Amino acid sequence: MSEPLDALEQRIAELRAEVRRAVKARDTSLARLLRADLRRAERAWDEAVVTEEAGKPAEEAGPALRESGAALMPIREQVHQALLLLGVPTAAKLVVAVNEAFFAGGLRSPQLSSLRRDEERSFRSDPYARPYYLCAALTDRLSPARGLLADSTWPLEVRVVGPLSPRVDFLTTAVRIAEHLTRLAEPPPGAVRLLSRMAQNIPGAVEGGFGPADPATVVGAARAELEVHLPADTAQRAEVAARAGDQLTDVERLFGAAALSTLRGAC
Amino acid sequence: MSRLDDLRGPVPARAHDARAIAALAANPGCARRSLLDAAGVDKDAAARHVGFPAPFGQSQFAITRGNVFESLVKENGCAELLRLLRELMGLPIAQVGYQDVENVGAHLRASHTRALIDRAARESEDSAVFYDHPLLSLRIAGQTSYLEPDVVAFQLGGRFHVVEIKSFSVIDGQAEPEKVAAAARQAAVYVLALRALMEELGHDPERVSHDVVLVCPENFANRPVASLVDVRRQLAVLRRQLARMTRVDRLLEDLPEGLTFSLEPDADGVPTRSAGELAEALRRVPARYAPDCLAACDMCMFCRDEARGCGSTDLLGRQVRDQLGGVSGMDEALGLAEGTREPEEGQEEIARLLRLADRLRRECVA
Repeated sequence: MSEPLDALEQRIAELRAEVRRAVKARDTSLARLLRADLRRAERAWDEAVVTEEAGKPAEEAGPALRESGAALMPIREQVHQALLLLGVPTAAKLVVAVNEAFFAGGLRSPQLSSLRRDEERSFRSDPYARPYYLCAALTDRLSPARGLLADSTWPLEVRVVGPLSPRVDFLTTAVRIAEHLTRLAEPPPGAVRLLSRMAQNIPGAVEGGFGPADPATVVGAARAELEVHLPADTAQRAEVAARAGDQLTDVERLFGAAALSTLRGAC
Repeated sequence: MSRLDDLRGPVPARAHDARAIAALAANPGCARRSLLDAAGVDKDAAARHVGFPAPFGQSQFAITRGNVFESLVKENGCAELLRLLRELMGLPIAQVGYQDVENVGAHLRASHTRALIDRAARESEDSAVFYDHPLLSLRIAGQTSYLEPDVVAFQLGGRFHVVEIKSFSVIDGQAEPEKVAAAARQAAVYVLALRALMEELGHDPERVSHDVVLVCPENFANRPVASLVDVRRQLAVLRRQLARMTRVDRLLEDLPEGLTFSLEPDADGVPTRSAGELAEALRRVPARYAPDCLAACDMCMFCRDEARGCGSTDLLGRQVRDQLGGVSGMDEALGLAEGTREPEEGQEEIARLLRLADRLRRECVA
């Protein structure tokens, strides 16, 4: 075993101990930083060990290359890219999954948690300065729906959610992903996996088993179920959207009216 | 109730969560637990103070695993759960409504849950199927406890079902019986709270089903599978136990005057009473230790030590204890087995069995 490897191993062990201490002290931000350091050290160790084996520098630094590609685009652009593909209010987790499957990858859900608040602050200080804002979906009480991200350029009818909307949006998402897959000459395996997982929960979309789903079948099955829910959902959404259009100010129309006695929006 | 306040001392009473309430039903015969719970004593702090901290609480990994699995089942408007309910209970395709109670903010959840459940019960046709993040309340021994079931499902034959999502796996259609039993007890608490809410709202409490939907990972994958668990027995035990909590007078009568489990802290937050005094007070109330207590009660280590100290047969589990009925301790049982002690009247049968067991053991060991 060579010296740099020994040094790295020692560093990894130290970092692990520090992470444990930080977690114990409930210092999450420090723990996150330390974990990132730990990951870097482990990757360096991986590379070093391969180099030592082969006696030459490791050529295929796949993950590292990808990561640098991902960093070229700001997070809000990446999220917007995923939202454009899906076309409906989407939970952060699914945005991350779509980004991973079709685009650069490397997004993480915690990065999206403060996004909506940052966009709101930007809009309040300088309204409509940006071509689009990442904003909230509105519930039937006109408050922001938990965890959903939407695009400010979408019409209000798309951005409000009623009781049926989570299902309708899920089916629409599946249709959009399947359609996008058929457009690609070489469908990325991650995207096929994502679609297969979604197809498991759509009746008639998979012919038994856990194999990769066929996009055309998924589109057909999802459309069939959509037909059942769509009329009722459209009516509910139109009603809420009309109310939102009448009652809310510009900011609230994008980011939701603060629920009664909620102490937020102080910025 | 002032006697109970004396028992607790000048500290605020502890509210119960679903696990604690379920644990009550696990060992209904234990006077020590009944009394401590009725008085709202902080059992964890008491156990730590007398030097027997319980190795309690789930590991961080188990909690994370549970949360990840729960979010998997609930993501995309409960898409997975919807499939499961369609397969398991024939939920019609048209019924997909989803309401996230938490959308109103944490402080309004209880009242919003109430409003939504009331609306669903009144106009059952158009209401949603899933109520995510509901918050129910239950009055126990004069205190309000807040309970959070994973999901409440409606529209399955016009009845409410409690959905309990657990991350232990069901392998080949079988899960660990103890874990299922614990989940059933916990779900029974939710059913009870939901029925109490229905009654309060003037609806038929029977519209809350006694069948609970238990969702677990299937085999070695992360794919959820659902099964129905009948919690009628757990409900009955729970009701009886909760009724007892309000009728603890009988237990209180037998207590010596001036007994207290007070954990009154001094300026540094350390209880003022010495550990010995508190342990002495605890020993005045009989416990009924069983190995299952280790999974459910904060006082388990204390009671186990006590049971060991007096050679009680309780240590060996309920089944063995019941079979050794009439034999008071382990010394006596061993004496009977080895023939060093003559069986008293009524002990002949058990003595014969013990000797047989002893002979078999000798043959095996030899």
